[in-house]
Amino acid sequence: MKEPVFSYVPGTSLLHRFDPRIKIAAVMLLGILTFRIENFEGIAALFAFFFALASLSGLPMKMFFRAIKPMMLFITFIFLAQLLFTDGKVLVSYWILQPSLEGLETGLKLAARFILLLLFAALLTASTNPSAITCGIERMLRPLPLRWLGITSFELATMMNISIAFLPLLFERVERTKAAQAARGMDFVKNPFRSVPALAIPLLRGVIRDAEELALAMESRGYQGSRRTSMHELSIQKNDWKALFVLAVFFIFVLFL
Amino acid sequence: MIRLEKVSYSYPDGTPALENINLTIKKGEFVGVIGKNGSGKSTLALQLSGLLKPGTGRVVIRGMDTRDPSRLQGIRKFVGVVFQNPETQFVGRTVEEDLAFGPENLCLPPVEIRRCVDMALAETELEKYRHRSPKTLSGGQGQCAALAGILAMRPECLIFDEVASMLDPESGIAVLETIKKLHKKGKTIVYITHNLEELHDADRILVMEKGKIKIEGDPESVFSDVFLQDLGLPLPSLIELAANLKTHGVIIPWESTTSPQNFAEEICRLFLRT
Ligand SMILES: Nc1ncnc2c1ncn2[C@@H]1O[C@H](COP(=O)(O)OP(=O)(O)O)[C@@H](O)[C@H]1O
Ligand SMILES: [Mg+2]
Repeated sequence: MKEPVFSYVPGTSLLHRFDPRIKIAAVMLLGILTFRIENFEGIAALFAFFFALASLSGLPMKMFFRAIKPMMLFITFIFLAQLLFTDGKVLVSYWILQPSLEGLETGLKLAARFILLLLFAALLTASTNPSAITCGIERMLRPLPLRWLGITSFELATMMNISIAFLPLLFERVERTKAAQAARGMDFVKNPFRSVPALAIPLLRGVIRDAEELALAMESRGYQGSRRTSMHELSIQKNDWKALFVLAVFFIFVLFL
Repeated sequence: MIRLEKVSYSYPDGTPALENINLTIKKGEFVGVIGKNGSGKSTLALQLSGLLKPGTGRVVIRGMDTRDPSRLQGIRKFVGVVFQNPETQFVGRTVEEDLAFGPENLCLPPVEIRRCVDMALAETELEKYRHRSPKTLSGGQGQCAALAGILAMRPECLIFDEVASMLDPESGIAVLETIKKLHKKGKTIVYITHNLEELHDADRILVMEKGKIKIEGDPESVFSDVFLQDLGLPLPSLIELAANLKTHGVIIPWESTTSPQNFAEEICRLFLRT
């Protein structure tokens, strides 16, 4: 079976054992850093940092390349746009295309930034159990006054979990409804104006019923949207502080590079 | 244990679903509930578990009135419901995470949650699927996982609403066997079905029709009740056979109608001896 990109790979490496909150904070910091860096040395340092972390995680490198691959088209597009539409010293002139040196530079940097962002995100999701990530986000959000928005951090975390768990059911329902309508002679290609409502209405009805059943099952299992605990024990260890320290040193180092 | 006093209920759109129900479920009982579609079985399950509040009358679950919001979590801990469709009962990405959902809502500490999850996995023999996505389980395993999700909360009373109706007969029997095992361990069971055959070993059977309990009694008396046919509920074939033989003067004792083997032995005993 083909594994989806950005999926969790269980393990016991140092990276796996860090507290999810530290890892989320680290990815956010590295993300900021990635877009603050102006020189190629900094970008090289970030790549080096990624490879150091990746080898620490013990995960196969090709897994990370798989995370970038689907975005490659988008990244190439951005690179080409920068390359061709930035004014500056013209490299070569071909037809109306005039790639500039400055364009090449900003294009390369921008592409590198997106790739770094994807790589760090993949590192987080591959080394952290998804529900530990939501649990970590919940704990980080808890001090925020979300009450004003009429939602608790617990509800937010449950919503994230449920939507991920529920998505496949939704796709399945789309397929089933499509098959049922096709069996009644609906032609989806020839007749889009009639087929869209014919698909949407039974689909919506089904989804609402699913949601009602799910809500009832959740309530039966004691869900109230208020305080709840988690199976994942989050506790910041000595190692987490060390990691944070290393990260801070790296941060300052790159900024001064 | 669970007591319904003069409970009536209509859905917000005005559909009447239950009418003046009086019922007591005793500790350790296995109560079967049967009736046609729309007879109010599911509504009864929701009342028995406090998921719906009665329109009129009172539902008391182990001394706790279901209309008292401060008792809600106490009621959830005491009674759980397993529904018909396993797919819409999963909230976790892995079986293990899914089972943790209930204990997490009860605010148990992480160590305790893990213990509850392990216990529920063992009880339903799902240990090897711990890290699988519940969506990838077969129908029967899925229903066992849904049951485990309730078991992880350690309730004393379990309600099953047509849990076998979406399964193939074989997995349906397997799920029922697991439920019977739980009953032997002392759990109170309410088992809702539209298949009389599954209720042969129940302590008590309630037959529902149009929101009322029409017939109530032990399986032997309910199965021989003349009103049963009027309600359009087909008898298990062995029971029907025994009833037909009875009109010809051949009496097959109730115990022998549990399986074709027992039935055959009884017939041989009756006829080969003379
Ligand atoms: N959510 C609902 N809203 C309105 N009416 C409902 C709802 N659920 C069930 N009913 C109606 O209540 C009656 C009893 O339904 P139910 O308890 O689901 O019966 P059963 O489980 O025996 O099939 C039926 O007439 C049904 O149409
Ligand atoms: Mg029903």
